[in-house]
Amino acid sequence: MTTSGTGLNPPPAGISASTSQRMRSIRLALVGVGVLLLAWGAFVMFDSVRVSRIPGVALWIAAAIVLHDAILAPIVFAFGIALRRAGRRVTGTVIAIVQGAIVVGSIVSLIAVPTLVAKNFAPANPTVLPLNYGLNLAIFWLLLALVTAGLSVWAFLRWRSPVEAVPDDSGR
Amino acid sequence: MYEAQRALASPVRNPRMATVIGRLLGAAFLICFGTGLYSHFLQEPLDWMRFPTRPEFLYQVTQGTHIIAGIACFPLLLAKLYIVFPKLFAYPPVRGLVHFLERASIALFVGASLVQITMGLLNTFQWYPWPFPFRQVHFALGWALIGLLVIHIGVKLPAITRYWSKGSLDSDHPEDAVSVDRASDAEAVRLWGSSRTGGVTGRVLDYIDATPRTLTDSVSRRGFLTTVGVATTAVVGLTAGQTFTPLNAVNLFGPRKKGVGQQGVPVNRTSEQAKVADAALASGWTLTVAVAGTERSFTRSELLALPQTEVQLPIACVEGWSQMAHWRGVRLRDLADLLSADPDTSFRLISLEERGSFSKTQMGREYVRDPLTLVALELNGETLDLEHGYPARMIAPGRPGVLQTKWLSRIEAI
Repeated sequence: MTTSGTGLNPPPAGISASTSQRMRSIRLALVGVGVLLLAWGAFVMFDSVRVSRIPGVALWIAAAIVLHDAILAPIVFAFGIALRRAGRRVTGTVIAIVQGAIVVGSIVSLIAVPTLVAKNFAPANPTVLPLNYGLNLAIFWLLLALVTAGLSVWAFLRWRSPVEAVPDDSGR
Repeated sequence: MYEAQRALASPVRNPRMATVIGRLLGAAFLICFGTGLYSHFLQEPLDWMRFPTRPEFLYQVTQGTHIIAGIACFPLLLAKLYIVFPKLFAYPPVRGLVHFLERASIALFVGASLVQITMGLLNTFQWYPWPFPFRQVHFALGWALIGLLVIHIGVKLPAITRYWSKGSLDSDHPEDAVSVDRASDAEAVRLWGSSRTGGVTGRVLDYIDATPRTLTDSVSRRGFLTTVGVATTAVVGLTAGQTFTPLNAVNLFGPRKKGVGQQGVPVNRTSEQAKVADAALASGWTLTVAVAGTERSFTRSELLALPQTEVQLPIACVEGWSQMAHWRGVRLRDLADLLSADPDTSFRLISLEERGSFSKTQMGREYVRDPLTLVALELNGETLDLEHGYPARMIAPGRPGVLQTKWLSRIEAI
């Protein structure tokens, strides 16, 4: 059983019985309160939203799980492997910088792209989405690329050889 | 499944990292929930509720924080899901009723969180591509998510306490690792009968194994945390300028821009949407004030003839933007006093707008008696623009924009 402790396992040896009893009570209380809050949320939902609309909510929640677990996460995983493969001869720090920059750019794009899309639907009035989001996103990526290139060159020069790449990094 | 977990192993996928990112994400959820509840009760107060009117920018801060924390949830939630992703392939998938319920609650927690922050983001620019009402579902999901968060903390409490402090991740507790350590390769061979070979999976795994790990664990971990930090700073920093003036210059992706709009103030609901232009521009417009059977109507010039007060107050919207502005008009308190209203009276504000959820709203006595609460007639030195509520609108300290009723028609004591 290397992974996925459910948390409701018996405590590891060495923890006194009274501590584990207290822990158990706190956990049961938390789960109880959480279930009540969840039930209240469900009540509020059924109380304020027409029943015919609720399958739509369920569908969106299910779609979000599928979108993340079956599409986004595997892409990220494949991308990480590809980068690792492509970057065999580069120092680890450079890979970390490039990886980080791509993640930062992707997350900013995740926030910015919906504004681009929504702007196409003619916003409710000219003061909603007044900026040129496409241009701003291009500027952002350009700056990100420049900063990443600069940092990478710096890291490459500093740790030129991949073998001695990481100076005494193991001792935290 | 074991192999899937192994392939996904990474130095950042460990319970210490899950705790570090998890508590930031949990804090962001609690901030969103608290500020969201405050905003909700301002709009739908229970009878006994009274609210602070100072500082006058209070709602700008609470609702600005709501949106900022919500946007910060995007990188934090994705980071948290990245860390715990191998758990999706836990084997056996279900070990009993309790384990099933735990996994089901996690699935609901993940899905509802993603929906909640997405609908919140899209609402800030009034885009509603879903088949259900925004306000009610966002509110109900808020309660459900806090419940799921408390359940999650209860379930994971032993791991959270163990990995709360720095340096807690060491070889003492390999059984808790999310990643699969190398020593268990042998166990895998024993369990699975043979080393993996055939099939697409085998080839993918061989390919991965042929790829050397070039990052040390600590570079990976520091790189991951730096990335999450930079991404969070970027999404917050590049949008928060819509409410937080010092960041106005780098507001690249905020759905509103300070100073953009009629008379330098952004607009939410237009006169066209509210279908009020004819009534608002009609020459016979009057504002009726009704208190306990007495009614009195004021034309705009009669209002302008009353003592005028000038205030600096922000318009702060539920959608997270805000704009400071200079208002001039008649104190609501003075109007109430003209009709000898009891100081304990709350008022109902009625707009010329006939439909719309905020065409009739209530104002508690703490706002009615506040010296900064005006029936505004001018904005930033000019006659109030039609889009800002001409002929007269409410402006009060610390209230959401939807309650700053535009195109006033009638004010009555309750």
